[in-house]
Amino acid sequence: MLESLDNWFKREILAHEASLNRYLQRFWPRRSEIPDLRQEIFTRVYQAAKKSRPQSSAKSFLFSTARHLMADRIRRKKIVAIDSVADLDALNVPVPGQMVDELSPEHHLLAHQELRRLAQAIDGLPPKCRKVIWMRRVDDLSQREVAARLGISEKSVEKHVIKGMRILERTFYGTPDEVKADPGDLTQDEQEHG
Amino acid sequence: MDRTHLNEQALLFLAKRDSSNWTDHDEESLQNWVDCDDAHRVAFLRLENIWENVGRLKALGAGLPRGTVPPPSHWRHSPFFASENERAPRSVRQMRLWSFTAAVMILTFATGLIGYLWPRGDRYSTPIGGIASVPLQDGSSVTLNTASQIHVELTPEERHIALDRGEAFFYVAHDTTRPFVVQAGNKRVIAVGTQFSVRREADDIRVAVTEGKVRIEEDAPRRRRGARPETASPERQDQVFAAAGTIATTNSSGVNVQEKPIAEVAEDLSWRQGYLTFHNTTLAQAVEEFNRYNRQKIRVEEPRTAAIRVSGTFRATNSQAFIRILDEAYSIHAKTTDGSVTLRQN
Repeated sequence: MLESLDNWFKREILAHEASLNRYLQRFWPRRSEIPDLRQEIFTRVYQAAKKSRPQSSAKSFLFSTARHLMADRIRRKKIVAIDSVADLDALNVPVPGQMVDELSPEHHLLAHQELRRLAQAIDGLPPKCRKVIWMRRVDDLSQREVAARLGISEKSVEKHVIKGMRILERTFYGTPDEVKADPGDLTQDEQEHG
Repeated sequence: MDRTHLNEQALLFLAKRDSSNWTDHDEESLQNWVDCDDAHRVAFLRLENIWENVGRLKALGAGLPRGTVPPPSHWRHSPFFASENERAPRSVRQMRLWSFTAAVMILTFATGLIGYLWPRGDRYSTPIGGIASVPLQDGSSVTLNTASQIHVELTPEERHIALDRGEAFFYVAHDTTRPFVVQAGNKRVIAVGTQFSVRREADDIRVAVTEGKVRIEEDAPRRRRGARPETASPERQDQVFAAAGTIATTNSSGVNVQEKPIAEVAEDLSWRQGYLTFHNTTLAQAVEEFNRYNRQKIRVEEPRTAAIRVSGTFRATNSQAFIRILDEAYSIHAKTTDGSVTLRQN
């Protein structure tokens, strides 16, 4: 039986989010547009895979979707002539897999280095938030148990989860600009809600 | 729907589903929400994936009693990272610096550079096209660009780095008792804790500061090496300060400090990732940049060709791609003779 599309998508596509981000940062001059671009790329890949899953490398498919989308946008917006020529040239290297490897030395980061990055991202969370995320994900305590141990309401635990995930989403997986722009404000998250 | 809003909604679903208050009704709303638009589903899957990934930290929690949250940085002592040592991360900025340092190290490895890096005493150098990262004993680190050489002398009074040639980026560990001095010819760039690069061309230097502040001064001929630069009188005429977001250049008439957006200063340092970035740069200057990184030199003889302006981001060691683009976009043709390439129009 075929693996569920959602699981496939997480394992084969979303797993490459970090390298996709680096790739976009390298080629897309307007950093503020990268989160939208990334979302559009993922959605396109998902929609294409709904019809038929890529036969060969899912990763190459992801990056070629990214290239096509960037090329489309460049054509539509008519970004300064040689910029687009330079970018398109780089984007049109024939073998996508090889190109990505060539362009992203970080891509070779060992798994434990990625883990270290994750640990550093967790360390960057506000202290209470960090505690909640750690207890919930590392110790596998339920939100209710975490609430009991920290002496706060379960609703507060949930809010810390939201806040922590929002920060992680931007720092670990996002772009530097996303980190700076934080529209979410949870300053009242210490408040109890019954 | 706006992406940020969509992300927030997915986040609310995810956190609520993780709680004990998740009802069948909630499950139904979630299903409806993800079914109505693939963008919704993708946003949710993405967050769910991140959430699941955080569980990988279990590898670091091993051995700790359940419910015990180690203090930040504690994981560095985890057996997982036992073989590595590194300064503690304190901010996202440092995290980024770390990942970049790792990238540079990997790049170094990937280009087989390790064999070229000669730690002769305290002298480090790179060949043409090379990049290398050198950690110093005080926790600072130096990233050497192509064809560069430094000489490191750490004394109790001063951290002294002579930039013999080329360009280097300095990440300076904070230590007020020992100024960090980069000597390039008769120019000195002095910092306490900051990040900056110095590029040397003969006796002139170009300093790009990304964090903190540095002091640039010209060596007084009688100045005794090892004298505390901090004690020097601040009224000295040959002293100039350059803060984060500035690029300072020296020439025979003195030091010129220009304020630039941080992004532009950072771009000036894109070599650390192996890239060259040009904005409306003359072909002559662009070619000069490429020639720093490649043994095969490019020449532009006609003045009108040299004056053409180019923009774009290129791999420093791939001058071929650059030449091809010039050919396609500007009809500038390349002719190879005796290991050098001459560019001309028509």
